[in-house]
Amino acid sequence: MIERLRVRFERMGIFPKLLFGFLFLSIVPLVILGYFANKNLSDTGLQAVQRAEEMGKQNLEAAEEIGMTSIEDSVSALDKKSTEAIELRTVELAARIADFLYERDKDMLILSSLPHDPEKYRHFYSASKRDVVITEPPLGGQEPSPLSPVQSSNPENRTEWRHRSPQQFKKLSKPLYKEITFVDLNGMERIKITDGQVSRNLLDISKIENTYCRAEGYFTHVKDLKKGEIFVSEVIGEYVPGWLSITPDGITIKQESAYAGKENLQGRKFEGIIRWAAPVHDDLDRKIGYATMALDHTHVMEFTDHVIPTEERFTVHSDGGSGNYAFIWDHRDRCIAHARDFFICGYDPSTGKEIPGWVSQSTYDEYRKSGLTLETFIRQLPSFRDFTQKKPACKEQIKSGCIPLDCRILDNAPQCQGWHEGTEDGGSGSFLILWSGLWKLTTYAAIPYHTGMYGKSKRGFGYVTIGANVDDFHKDANITKDRIQKAIAREGQTIMSANSTTRDLIRRSAEHNRKVITIIAVLAALAVIGASLIISFHITRPMKRLTEGAIAMRSGNYDQYIEVTSKDEIGQLAHSFNEMAKAVSEVDKMKSDFITIASHELRTPIQAMLLGVSGILGGFSGKINEEVRQDLELAKTGIERLMRLVSNLLDLSRIESRKIVLNKSETEVHEIVDRAVAEVLDLANAHGHTIVKQIPPDIGQIRVDKDRMVQVVINCLSNSIKYSPDGGTIIVKAEQNEGEMIFFIADNGYGIPSWAQKEIFRKFFQADSIMSQKVGGSGLGLTITKEIVENHGGSINCESPLPDGYFPGLPLGGDRKGAVFIILLPKSSSRHGQA
Amino acid sequence: MGKHKSERSLFMESLKILVVDDEAPISSYLQRKLTKQGYMVYTADDGEEALRQAFLRLPDIVLLDVKLPKLNGIEVCKILKSDDRTKDAQIIMLSAKAQSDEVQQGLDAGAVRYLCKPVGFPEIFEEIRRLHDKGEALKKGRS
Repeated sequence: MIERLRVRFERMGIFPKLLFGFLFLSIVPLVILGYFANKNLSDTGLQAVQRAEEMGKQNLEAAEEIGMTSIEDSVSALDKKSTEAIELRTVELAARIADFLYERDKDMLILSSLPHDPEKYRHFYSASKRDVVITEPPLGGQEPSPLSPVQSSNPENRTEWRHRSPQQFKKLSKPLYKEITFVDLNGMERIKITDGQVSRNLLDISKIENTYCRAEGYFTHVKDLKKGEIFVSEVIGEYVPGWLSITPDGITIKQESAYAGKENLQGRKFEGIIRWAAPVHDDLDRKIGYATMALDHTHVMEFTDHVIPTEERFTVHSDGGSGNYAFIWDHRDRCIAHARDFFICGYDPSTGKEIPGWVSQSTYDEYRKSGLTLETFIRQLPSFRDFTQKKPACKEQIKSGCIPLDCRILDNAPQCQGWHEGTEDGGSGSFLILWSGLWKLTTYAAIPYHTGMYGKSKRGFGYVTIGANVDDFHKDANITKDRIQKAIAREGQTIMSANSTTRDLIRRSAEHNRKVITIIAVLAALAVIGASLIISFHITRPMKRLTEGAIAMRSGNYDQYIEVTSKDEIGQLAHSFNEMAKAVSEVDKMKSDFITIASHELRTPIQAMLLGVSGILGGFSGKINEEVRQDLELAKTGIERLMRLVSNLLDLSRIESRKIVLNKSETEVHEIVDRAVAEVLDLANAHGHTIVKQIPPDIGQIRVDKDRMVQVVINCLSNSIKYSPDGGTIIVKAEQNEGEMIFFIADNGYGIPSWAQKEIFRKFFQADSIMSQKVGGSGLGLTITKEIVENHGGSINCESPLPDGYFPGLPLGGDRKGAVFIILLPKSSSRHGQA
Repeated sequence: MGKHKSERSLFMESLKILVVDDEAPISSYLQRKLTKQGYMVYTADDGEEALRQAFLRLPDIVLLDVKLPKLNGIEVCKILKSDDRTKDAQIIMLSAKAQSDEVQQGLDAGAVRYLCKPVGFPEIFEEIRRLHDKGEALKKGRS
């Protein structure tokens, strides 16, 4: 490989060598420099961008951390505040309920002190009314449109000025009591006011089937009451069923279900009563009967039904689905007020039996195995057993629509246990519970009403609870959090886009630099190429001229001059060459002149000798004897040989000095050969040679100098004659081949040794001096022949010995090794062609 | 040869030959030998002398060397051929130069024959005799 490269390099001209060297020396460092400069630039830039990116990220992270910490802080602060506010609200609700109930105690005492006169009772009934929010849509029941808030007129009050217009719910004044009765000591109703009228349908309420929902057993309790003592019943009402369908998206409620606030506006509401009873005494303090009042439970439910623990504060329809609502439990932990009325515990009015509470599926399955009735099974169930959210709710109960909430057995709602325990001492509080995937605050507060049976525990009448979504408390904090996150994201994006812009800039700048470097490199390359061109032009052009001159001199054209354009080594070389060429040319001219002059000077005496000798031999000087004749013939032979030598020398001199002018014309090949053969025929015959012509009759013409071409053929034939043993055969053959005419002059003579096959065309070469004497060659014939052929643009070669059968009819063997002259001539063009 | 001589001397008395050659030995040899053969031979050794002799002697045959001082043979030939007095003279060119273009120049100039030196006397004589015979034939034909 390297060897091959070396060889290739050696074969290169000076110009490519110089160009290659210059390019390599100048471009390679430039490219390397450019590469590193560019790389460093873009690397540094990219590192800077990366640093900026990291710093930006760190800043963002710090900002996020601070933001999140402060959000967490404010969340917990807000949560705490909210919790306290909701706790307070719960406690106050509970207190208000207790107050309300205590007022009913007062009513009871008043009623029991009234004379048992129907009119008085009716009047009492009519006087006891209280507003309730209308929830039925046709009558109102819609959220009121908010009023525009009042603005502070005094600028000093405007700091954090908050105002809320009163909530304009449509309300209806509703009798507090469903029923007011006076019952005699036997339990027979004596006076009864219902719907504002004195009722004639008086019943024996000692019989439970005559009571509300067949569930009131108050008569047994009132008998033991002393004067001033009051009986208060539990909440009694018909259970209103409801059907839930629990889907992954939440809970939906079927329309035929009980009223459930926003979730089911059209549903039937739970209608319950709380019965107050007190003994009535006559003027003599004799107990004559009992006064009772059935409080419309709606008024109790009204306390919680419109409460919402959010900024809204109150609502027409509570929303069980939102988790933000208030509800009430009685002293036995049974639900007595709820956003969903089907959760309120009630009775079957046909049997007067309590509808059993909702349990978990596992507990229900337990019931199924127990063989007991559901009522019995549930009644004997221990309270608060294994409460956990992990238990799924009972599907069968959901399907039946009977799902009242009884905290003691609602074993998949652990908060029930929390409320129960928290109200044990009559207190209040709250806790968080993860319910349905949301953190919910649930508050509780015991209703401090301790009349009658409610005085048995500190829990009193029961307790109020409020459920609230924790996230809603810190909505603001969440908004801030959201804002911060958005801001951070925005900031991050800004940083990212800024970085990407910077990156782009750097990339573009790097690209630009690359372009500039490339342009510089290209320009440098061009400059180097140009410089190399100029330099090598100055070196190689004279060199080329020198080479051409030398080549011309080699082929005999000594008249060479090279323009000297510089004074450097090349200039000196050109100068030396010119001097040498001049010297050589002079010498050559001297030689030519010498030959010409010498030949001319020789010729005159030769002419004189020839005239004299030939005249004597021709008998023009009188008769001569045979001896004289023989002697003169010898002289004549010498003169003729001398003549030929001079003639050939002159010819050669002329040819070599390019003084020869070819007189070309279209010439018949046959004519050339015939003339040549005729010329040598005598000589050939003298030696017993046979000349055979093997030329196709239609071979045609060739554009040559006829006389000189005849001379060529003669010279070849002469050579064959000279160097063949007597009695040989000489074949002259000619053939055409693709624009060439080929002559063969073949003999079966002594042949020419291979070493001499080129030498024979040199001046004064003779294969064998003895041989030459035979015919007296000048040693110039073949040289002239070669010159003539080459002047015609052709070539002449000699091959020997001949292979057998190469020329049929040319017997070989022994001394007869054979030789052939092959002359190739172009048919038309030639180097020195002239018309 | 002797037989030729006796025959010729009878007919050739009026036949004039001008030999032009700058080499005196050559021209004197030719004069001697041709005179011996019965011709009237005059010589000249340069081109101008050749023209003077030609217009003076009005030769029938001119042996004209090409290489001559003052005027060369080709020029002399052209002048002779363009002059009424000498235009019928038979001109034989003699030259050492055997180049075909020179031969052609000589023939173009009006020479009847072109002989290459060195040439033997018998060849020259043969040529003159041939022209002589041809001239006799023409004369007879005309008369």
